[in-house]
Amino acid sequence: TKMAACSRIGRGGHSMDKSITLPADEIFRNLENAKRFAIDIGGSLTKLAYYSTVQHKVAKVRSFDHSVKETEDDPLYEISVQEEITARLHFIKFENAYIETCLDFVKDHLVNTDTKVIKATGGGAYKFKDLIEKKLKLKVDKEDEMSCLIKGCNFVLKNIPHEAFVYVRHADSEFRFQNTHPDIFPYLLINIGSGVSIVKVESEDQFERIGGSSIGGGTFWGLGALLTKTKRFDELLQLASRGQHASVDMLVKDIYGGAYGTLGLTGDLIASSFGKSATADKEFSKEDMAKSLLHMISNDIGQLACLYAKLHNLTRVYFGGFFIRGHPVTMHTITYSINFFTKGEVQALFLRHEGYLGAIGAFLKGAEEDNPNQYSWGENYAGSSGLMSVSPELNPMQRARSGTFDMLEMDRLERQLVNLPLLQDPSSYIPDTMDLTEDAVAREYWLFCFEEALEGVVKRAIASQPDLPQTRERAEKFSQKYRHKLQTLRHQPFAYGSLTVRSLLDTREHCLNEFNFPDPYSKIKQRENDMALKYFQKAVKSLESLSWEQRQFALVKGLLAGNVFDWGAKAISDVLETNAGFGFEEAKRKLQERPWLVDSYNQWLERLKGPPHKCALFFVDNSGIDIILGVFPFVRELLCRGTEVSSFYEHSFVLRSHLHCKCALSLTS
Amino acid sequence: MKIKDAKKPSFPWFGMDIGGTLVKLVYFEPIDITAEEEQEEVESLKSIRRYLTSNVAYGSTGLRDVHLELKDLTLCGRKGNLHFIRFPTHDMPAFLQMGRDKHFSSLHTMLCATGGGAYKFDRDFYTMADLRLRKLDELDCLIKGVLYIESVRFNGHSECYYFENPTDPDLCQQKPYKLENPYPLLLVNIGSGVSILAVYSKDNYKRVTGTSLGGGSFLGLCCLLTGCSTFEEALEMASCGDSTRVDKLVRDIYGGDYDKFGLPGWAVASSFGNMMCKEKRESISKEDLARATLVTITNNIGSITRMCALNENIQRVVFVGNFLRINTLSMKLLAYAMDYWSKGQLKALFLKHEGYFGAVGALLELLNQS
Repeated sequence: TKMAACSRIGRGGHSMDKSITLPADEIFRNLENAKRFAIDIGGSLTKLAYYSTVQHKVAKVRSFDHSVKETEDDPLYEISVQEEITARLHFIKFENAYIETCLDFVKDHLVNTDTKVIKATGGGAYKFKDLIEKKLKLKVDKEDEMSCLIKGCNFVLKNIPHEAFVYVRHADSEFRFQNTHPDIFPYLLINIGSGVSIVKVESEDQFERIGGSSIGGGTFWGLGALLTKTKRFDELLQLASRGQHASVDMLVKDIYGGAYGTLGLTGDLIASSFGKSATADKEFSKEDMAKSLLHMISNDIGQLACLYAKLHNLTRVYFGGFFIRGHPVTMHTITYSINFFTKGEVQALFLRHEGYLGAIGAFLKGAEEDNPNQYSWGENYAGSSGLMSVSPELNPMQRARSGTFDMLEMDRLERQLVNLPLLQDPSSYIPDTMDLTEDAVAREYWLFCFEEALEGVVKRAIASQPDLPQTRERAEKFSQKYRHKLQTLRHQPFAYGSLTVRSLLDTREHCLNEFNFPDPYSKIKQRENDMALKYFQKAVKSLESLSWEQRQFALVKGLLAGNVFDWGAKAISDVLETNAGFGFEEAKRKLQERPWLVDSYNQWLERLKGPPHKCALFFVDNSGIDIILGVFPFVRELLCRGTEVSSFYEHSFVLRSHLHCKCALSLTS
Repeated sequence: MKIKDAKKPSFPWFGMDIGGTLVKLVYFEPIDITAEEEQEEVESLKSIRRYLTSNVAYGSTGLRDVHLELKDLTLCGRKGNLHFIRFPTHDMPAFLQMGRDKHFSSLHTMLCATGGGAYKFDRDFYTMADLRLRKLDELDCLIKGVLYIESVRFNGHSECYYFENPTDPDLCQQKPYKLENPYPLLLVNIGSGVSILAVYSKDNYKRVTGTSLGGGSFLGLCCLLTGCSTFEEALEMASCGDSTRVDKLVRDIYGGDYDKFGLPGWAVASSFGNMMCKEKRESISKEDLARATLVTITNNIGSITRMCALNENIQRVVFVGNFLRINTLSMKLLAYAMDYWSKGQLKALFLKHEGYFGAVGALLELLNQS
């Protein structure tokens, strides 16, 4: 399906006859089941939101009952691919110029007719009310802009890791993503639209506009247009980025001849904005005036933000609004100002999905009966555009955004996510050992690895579904999509927050799911598991024949050997595929002699002589020799001691039921 | 403040405050000169006294604010009149030339100066006029000057005043204010830029913050927007303009009050916000622009001040500085803003000698140290 948006009226009044062709079905996805529409129409961009369901395949495990009899050749369990329906949120951002075309497309593809209303917010909601009602045949239900904004902000902060970032101009990575604090409240949201609103948010439903200022984005735009005869906001920012404010502003050194030492005011500090333009006989360049204006306004907003933050004793300060939205120049000046006025104590925080907050909030207001806030939602990397580079040097096309559609998709997660209560400080816990956003060499290495491995994954994917239709075509589409994602991440490593090996794996998984490959490795896993499980009884028996102390040591060695397998080295996997038991013994033999690099075995042994542990928590892979031959015997020993055991899998299912069954057996036998 | 009569410095007595835009000069004219003194008085000293007291304008830009003159003042055991003179900082070279022509350096007097220019022009004073400056901190001088003038009163009248009924334009009027037990107070000095000080006692104060959006920004922006060139012109234009044609008000967005957040319809939502629109840019006058600039700068100073007062827990604010000279519009706006947004908790106070306190403080230092 293609959609054409033609003959938009260009700025300046004359038609620019700018037509674009959009693959609309790749933008407004899953419209068949779409419901709960919301729209946020700003000064230049429209954000459409809807809730939909997606049907996709999942791998399910069924254990056979082995209590009766076991023969050598029967598989111990069976994997079946089943259909599952999950909820997905869609958010699409596009220029107001395309609103009519987009609404037409949505109307044409809408199947669900239960939907009667569309929630609307933003300054343009009123202006486009009639158009929306006419096109979509939905009743427009207006929602307060500020409360939508706050609701949306809470939602992204809660659900999207690395949503917030500090901006560091000219650094290797412009964005430094922040770990989400387990408790997002309280915080300050400074929304810089035409004016400034300063809102203190204390809980999900409790927020207060504690102040504001009339000097905001509208002042920059309006005053800037008067001073420079430049009409567009983006052009004004461009002018500003080229200007020298010192020719217009009166600096401390212009008054003092240097710094004002006793107050610690440096010579370059602005003493009086536009202080040098108080003369009739001098011309000033547009660039310099725009720059001076930008500094004046950014500093002023930063100062007020700091005064409010101090008065209300808040340290988390997020900035949003059209003045900020993706503009490196304003993010930089605001960051500078906050840093100056708080002496570095408060950092200016920005949000990856800042532009979507209003739409998300309006959507949430209309979707209350689905209780979206009772679930955890995850950003779907396959369906989301990610953050674009904002540096004009890095991405010259960025400024010319016309015709680009930006998307955010969020999947409802199986379970509500919570912070692990055992963590000392969840906000400072970083699960990844390497930040590929910061480390360019490591980034290139890993991107290369994933690219290299792609062909193999495609083969496995095809092999995993021999009986399903269009497997090859889907696998090819997956390959294209993931390769494209990797390329994007090479240029914009910050697209989905900090880039890590984990996020590269997640992106791959999302892309695989997108094309209905829930687990390309399921066949291999099953073979490996089957082999390991066959050896399991023997392994347990041999452990039982050992003395208590010997057994404890053997169990720990088994755990470590399991990790040796997890290296995934090809040589080892070859050994595995022939003889799991042999491979495992081989790995144990390859272990270093004690003392190990980190070696607390003696303390562990002493502890085991004491009373049983109340509870043990395992973080394990969901499949393979390492868990079956390394972890299971260890767990079995703990269970026999009377310790309760829980486990966390990196990637859900497959063996969960099996483990429980085996553990139960161990306890009773 | 009592000045000891032990060792008097020799005449002439000056205090100088060299700011970013204006130089403020206070001159003490002794009127109790004995015949003996008169005879001993050197020609250059006489000439300076005559020149300053017999003129109200000096050169093309220097002016004496005659209406501010403090008469029959006793300072350091001498009786005299205190004169208040100002000229633009960019005319400093002409001033130095005059000092040289009048052989100022032959008087071996110490010239006490404060403000940034005391540092910036230190060398010029020496090389061009053979004068050595005693440089003083501008905030120290400002506070000393304020406390002194407040204590001696303005020719029998109150130096300090406020606006009664600030929220009612018809009933709003200037009233004298007795600044007894002045501490703590917030002192807001609006010159080219703005400094905000929290004053806890005569010699305990701190600079809370400052902003670069001050008098210099008002005049600088007005010059660019309207082509005017003086503060007087800019104010004159502002007085006949209408800022609501330039600014976007709350009611322009919400059709009336924004009740949810307690914002009245008349409040400015976006300064110069209407100027985003081409048609509106073409429909406004220079006067409207001057008025909007004045309102923007003034209200911003008001809101920063109010936040500082809240953070410092201070209820009285004294506004000084030359931005307020002949600028009743801004003073009333500040009085209104303090009262309205604090629900009557904050009081805005003003002083008649607006921008001269730093110079007065410098003069007091001269008399104190010798």
